Amino acid sequence: MRVFYATDLHGSEVCWRKFLNAAKFYDADVLICGGDMTGKAMIPIVEDGDGYELTLSGISQRVGRDQVAEVESQVQRKGYYPVRMTSAQVAELEKDPQKVQTLFTEQMCKTVERWMQMAADKLKDSKIRVFVAPGNDDEMEIDEVIANAPRVELAEGKMIDIGGYEMISSGWANPTPWHTYREAPEEELARRMEPMLRDIKDMSRAIFNFHPPPYGTSLDEAPALDENLKPLHGGRALRHVGSTAVRDAIDKYQPMLSLHGHIHEGKGITRMGKTLAINPGSAYEEGMLLASIIELDQKKGIKNYQLVNG
Amino acid sequence: MATTTEAPRQTLFLRNATGLVKAWSTFDAFLYAFWSVNLVTLGLYGMSFVYAIPDGQLLGAVLLTGVLVTFLVLTYAQLVSVMPRAGGDYAWQSRILGGAVGFVLAITGWWFTLWLWTPIYANILVVQFFAPLADTLGLPDVATFFGSKTGIFVSCLIVLAFVSWVITLGMEGYARIQRICFWLGMAGLIAMIGLLLFSSHDAFVTAFNREAASLFGASGDAYQATLKAGGTTGVSFGSFGFTSTLLLLPFLAFYLLWPVWGATLYGEVRGAKEYRKVFNAMFWGLWVTVALVAVIILLIVKTIGWDFYYAANAAYWNSIFGVAGAAAPPVPIWPYPIMLAGWLVPNHLFQALLIAVMGLWFFGWAGTLFLSSTRVIFAAAFDRVLPEWAANISAKRRVPYGSLILMIVPSLVVSALWAYGGTGLQGIFLWATGVIAITFLGTVVAAAILPWRRRDIFENSPISRFRIAGIPVITITGVVSAIFLLFMLAEWSFNAVYGTSFSINSASPIYFGATYLVAIAIYVVARVVRKRQGIDLSRIHREIPVE
Repeated sequence: MRVFYATDLHGSEVCWRKFLNAAKFYDADVLICGGDMTGKAMIPIVEDGDGYELTLSGISQRVGRDQVAEVESQVQRKGYYPVRMTSAQVAELEKDPQKVQTLFTEQMCKTVERWMQMAADKLKDSKIRVFVAPGNDDEMEIDEVIANAPRVELAEGKMIDIGGYEMISSGWANPTPWHTYREAPEEELARRMEPMLRDIKDMSRAIFNFHPPPYGTSLDEAPALDENLKPLHGGRALRHVGSTAVRDAIDKYQPMLSLHGHIHEGKGITRMGKTLAINPGSAYEEGMLLASIIELDQKKGIKNYQLVNG
Repeated sequence: MATTTEAPRQTLFLRNATGLVKAWSTFDAFLYAFWSVNLVTLGLYGMSFVYAIPDGQLLGAVLLTGVLVTFLVLTYAQLVSVMPRAGGDYAWQSRILGGAVGFVLAITGWWFTLWLWTPIYANILVVQFFAPLADTLGLPDVATFFGSKTGIFVSCLIVLAFVSWVITLGMEGYARIQRICFWLGMAGLIAMIGLLLFSSHDAFVTAFNREAASLFGASGDAYQATLKAGGTTGVSFGSFGFTSTLLLLPFLAFYLLWPVWGATLYGEVRGAKEYRKVFNAMFWGLWVTVALVAVIILLIVKTIGWDFYYAANAAYWNSIFGVAGAAAPPVPIWPYPIMLAGWLVPNHLFQALLIAVMGLWFFGWAGTLFLSSTRVIFAAAFDRVLPEWAANISAKRRVPYGSLILMIVPSLVVSALWAYGGTGLQGIFLWATGVIAITFLGTVVAAAILPWRRRDIFENSPISRFRIAGIPVITITGVVSAIFLLFMLAEWSFNAVYGTSFSINSASPIYFGATYLVAIAIYVVARVVRKRQGIDLSRIHREIPVE
């Protein structure tokens, strides 16, 4: 059985399309999206007479009505949400953070719904299983959208049997400086894992799909920040920011495989006793799908694995 | 399609999301670039060889190199902007030129060649720190020891121990040390500049003769004797030969080629401004160094004497290389300009203090010797080209012991070759700059063709609008950089003046040819072995279709 694992797409439509196409491209049987699938930014595309104005990557542009769809597609490619609005609506949003939040949620759910439909269309005649466990950056509202999707399975908080292997998943992370949507202290993370861990019958055939990487490994090094969220030493200084609860769970239970994301710079593979832990990293802004392919064998367990830049 | 206008209103709404950091300090990034083109350790050492081209105009060559390396900086800054997390030459080349080319060029440049830099660093440590410090403190036996074969090897061991310590310390801790070294080192440099600025040429001649007698027992007019021993009569700062000045460029590349060393900085939700920050950090790291070198050169002309500077270097290196018929230098030590400036103060304690403080330029810089190498080894291991253990990190101390072994063990061997292998083998080490230049060449070629090879990535990057006459700027800067690098590679290969040419240094092409073959062999073996394991290495960089 071939598993394709990617994570931290952050709203990049190109990456999601590649994720779905990876099944055929790599001949994969199972696709797992490790979380953080929603975007971080919203770009107003402001109506102005017979055209629109927007700023993307620091560059302000004015486009005609016939070009706006193409520009929206560029915005989506980067993982941002393009929203057409008037300058009065922009001014209103500037004054009211709550309205911004509501619009974000609306855009996110709309996009995830479209992505779920895309999965249904692309994979309708295949037997490929697709799993998504939303990450700490994903708002709770998207769970329902995924749960209702015909061809995608919501993996959060469950033990799922995949061809004889038991996978448990959680997108919850230890606290970050950004106070995101699925964060909890380490003790609570451990409590969240407990019931799922109890469900696993054979750890030698278990897969942990936990969004944050284990603390103190090569998978959890992120640029050190000061109190104003400014990278220290030009971004060269790295610090371990992973989860101790995840680390403890791996150290204690020694699953066959542990899949992680969250730290985009932490691309790598590490052995933790009997466990192979992987963080494929993320380069969603480039439209590049960083991922890992894991070949599972009924006798050997992990037959081979590979990181790819698709 | 679009016209640029001024943005009048909020153009981006952000929500709480991981990784949305504020802009990093340009000064911090500048510091890294500034250390990479280290004007004291690499700069003063590299420029001590320019006596070989007496009618070249050094200041003009430094400025010209600055201009040409700026094109390299522009190229790398644009690559960072297009693929910020790519991790440098290996990943850029792999993604644009293919996995095999990327592996061979990066592994030879950033792995095999970095072994050769260990004895070069060690030699710099001896001539700029141990030897002058020991002589100044009245410990000539210690200075003599570090000049011996075993002394050089011990210095190599010290460098390796220091580099290993830095890697275990982590970059954050070392960055703090670098900051302290920077400010103290700059204070030392200002003291040196002040001494040369406010002292006359006559005062220097007197000081030189005094210390030559006091520290080295030289009799008579050591200044004049050095001029005579150097055999560079008639050298003048004002002399200018265009071709000769161009021929100085490969010497200057020894230090001015490296502002792009730390080019893998990044930012998320970034724009064109981010490109400018990366560029500014590397640009100012280069040009502040160029400006300081210009000041130092002019002060050497004014106070020390340009003809003397050339003669002292010629006399020293002729004695080291055993040039037939060369006279022994009256002062048998490398003419370290810091030490010479310190002699203007008739106090050995002050002189020793100045040398020690300027030694911080070495210790603030040398720790990063293997930093890029370990990253390239990690990347190759994650790509399954190297074995998994190459990326292993010890659980307790977080030491990347796999990659450290791959760096340190061969470095010990090449250090022993340097120390005990004779001057024939030492010729190999002269190519240490050239091989990294070949790696850079691969990257600038990749950059030049990026808009066509990875059109999708290029068109969606902030630099896609940078065009001159419709040609992407990254292509133009890439081509100019490639021509500059090819010129130097041709000179290193065929001009006998550098000691690297194939005609006089037959060991070098054999050694480097062998390293490229080994790199190719590793890749081929990895392809075959991994294929048997069911892993297709060719699919690492194959792009998944979007539609």
